[in-house]
Amino acid sequence: MSTHSGAPLIEAVNVSRSYALGAARVPAVRDVTFSIGAGEFVALQGPSGSGKTTLLNLLGLLDRPDEGTVRLEGRDGESLTENERSDLRRDRFGFVFQTFNLIPVLTAEENVAYPLALAGVEARQRRVRARELLASVGLPEKAAVRPDLLSGGQRQRVAIARALANRPAVVFADEPTANLDSHTAEEILDLMREINASAKVAFLFATHDPIVVERARRVVKLHDGAIASDERV
Amino acid sequence: MSAFALAWRNLVRQKRRSFLMIAVVTFGFASFALAGGFIAQSFEALKEGTIRSVGHLQILDRRAVGKAEDSTLEYGIPEAARARALVAKDPDVAAVLPRIDFVGLATNGAKSVPFLGVGVDPDPEAAATLAPELVVSGRYLSGDGGDGIVLGTGLAAALGVKPGDRVTLLATTPDGSLNAVDGIVEGLVDVRIKELNDRYLAGGIGLVSRLLQSSETVSKLVVFLKPGANEEKAAERLAAALTAAGFPIAVQRWQELAVFYGQVRLLYIGIFGFVGTVLVVIVILSAAIVMTMAVTERTREIGTLRALGTRPSGVLRMFLAEGIVIAIAGCVAGMLLALVIRAGLNASGLMLPPPPGATHGMPINVKLYPLAYAAGLAAMILTMGIASFIPARRASRIAIVDALTHV
Repeated sequence: MSTHSGAPLIEAVNVSRSYALGAARVPAVRDVTFSIGAGEFVALQGPSGSGKTTLLNLLGLLDRPDEGTVRLEGRDGESLTENERSDLRRDRFGFVFQTFNLIPVLTAEENVAYPLALAGVEARQRRVRARELLASVGLPEKAAVRPDLLSGGQRQRVAIARALANRPAVVFADEPTANLDSHTAEEILDLMREINASAKVAFLFATHDPIVVERARRVVKLHDGAIASDERV
Repeated sequence: MSAFALAWRNLVRQKRRSFLMIAVVTFGFASFALAGGFIAQSFEALKEGTIRSVGHLQILDRRAVGKAEDSTLEYGIPEAARARALVAKDPDVAAVLPRIDFVGLATNGAKSVPFLGVGVDPDPEAAATLAPELVVSGRYLSGDGGDGIVLGTGLAAALGVKPGDRVTLLATTPDGSLNAVDGIVEGLVDVRIKELNDRYLAGGIGLVSRLLQSSETVSKLVVFLKPGANEEKAAERLAAALTAAGFPIAVQRWQELAVFYGQVRLLYIGIFGFVGTVLVVIVILSAAIVMTMAVTERTREIGTLRALGTRPSGVLRMFLAEGIVIAIAGCVAGMLLALVIRAGLNASGLMLPPPPGATHGMPINVKLYPLAYAAGLAAMILTMGIASFIPARRASRIAIVDALTHV
């Protein structure tokens, strides 16, 4: 089911994914067809176990479907090697996680610069870009601070800056506000909306947080691994 | 940030675990360096002692190679002075020592004891082969030796003689008759091997020739070469020169003469190899456990790195780099530890017990042996590389979604 107009940025076609639970297999995503376009701000909403994180992982090339295919800008993700998928994630995707997932031994600036280093950006340029991004998320003075000395909201801002480092086409955010208080969550969401508007980066959330759903321009509801509704707000 | 810089930070982050692992490598490396140094020193001492005893080369009649004589000087070298002069001309030769090997009975008038005798040219013999500490009483032979003899301490004890006493020597001459001469005990020596000490007797060539009623014939010429000389080439040159001069001789190198040297060396290498293998296995197992723990604890971090675009090979490199950083840090600490222990051991004056058949122990002396340090470094890096590889490969293959949800 595709409800937006224009060429899709990422497209899942009849994808299914199940997991082993003892001898049985539990379906997490069932025959889903779904796409998002450039610059969209989409929330995948549903109760726990509805398949939203699994679908997010499949679209983000973190996992492979049992059936169906995921395409990024027309390229079939299933035909790519592990290295090619890694390179695609590095160059075209950003990720924001519920638990922030910053590298604990790196400073905020080094965390932001890490994807740039993976892309082979020269050290001085990395530093400049990382500082720009930290400034854009409101943390210019925290460049040399390690994650364990930052608050939850600050860590998530660093994670957002890191997700944007290589100017991705889409940022995948899995429950990005779940570990934040509501005020901080609103700030983070507003920041993401600003980035979405200014940098034309698409955002795809897996969430059951109403604060996220309120700000989304498109809400896709999942139920038992299938899309129940897909509405533009 | 390079894999090594990231590895270093992760090691600093896990201080206690890293310290433990570095300590394992430190002791492993120090053991390699010290054992290697000790063994190298032992080989060198053994080689030195062997060469002091048998020379670098020995020249003997071709028929004597690998055969025992039925009678004294049966396969002797006649015209020994001419042969000796020819050998001495070689530019690599430092000393040529004529020796006559013989057996006989020594008697003090009341008691007779069999001996293993050697006739020598005293001054050059003493200069090339005699360690001063071997003379425990009286003095060694000098000049042409005159009627002087030196006895092993065991033989002297058996005869109940001391320096200055007179001993009658009886031996069979090359033509089979029995002859006797009187010798005066000049000194007593401890030749460090008990069985030889109980039988050892040395006299000047002149006295021994009188006893054996032979002249100008010796059993062998023992050749000492100058430092740095090529033994093989010198042996070839001497064989060619003497053969051309009409001497039907063979030249043997010290390695051929001292079979025990090769055997002891093989034994040491076997022991060192076994201990080294045990050491490497211990380090591999310890390191593998520690690295597996590190991978398990950092599974979520691995998932994050992979999600951000780190290739599987990048994760593999990161953990291998940690293993190699541990190895290098451990080797640097191990080198310092080895140097301190070495200095302590060498200054301690501790003695090793005498080996079987020997009368004296050996002082512990650990040589600074760069090859052992290099081998230790290579072994520890290789060991840590192997120990890190399996957990690192596992880390690189973890499914990203499983890693991200790892608790």
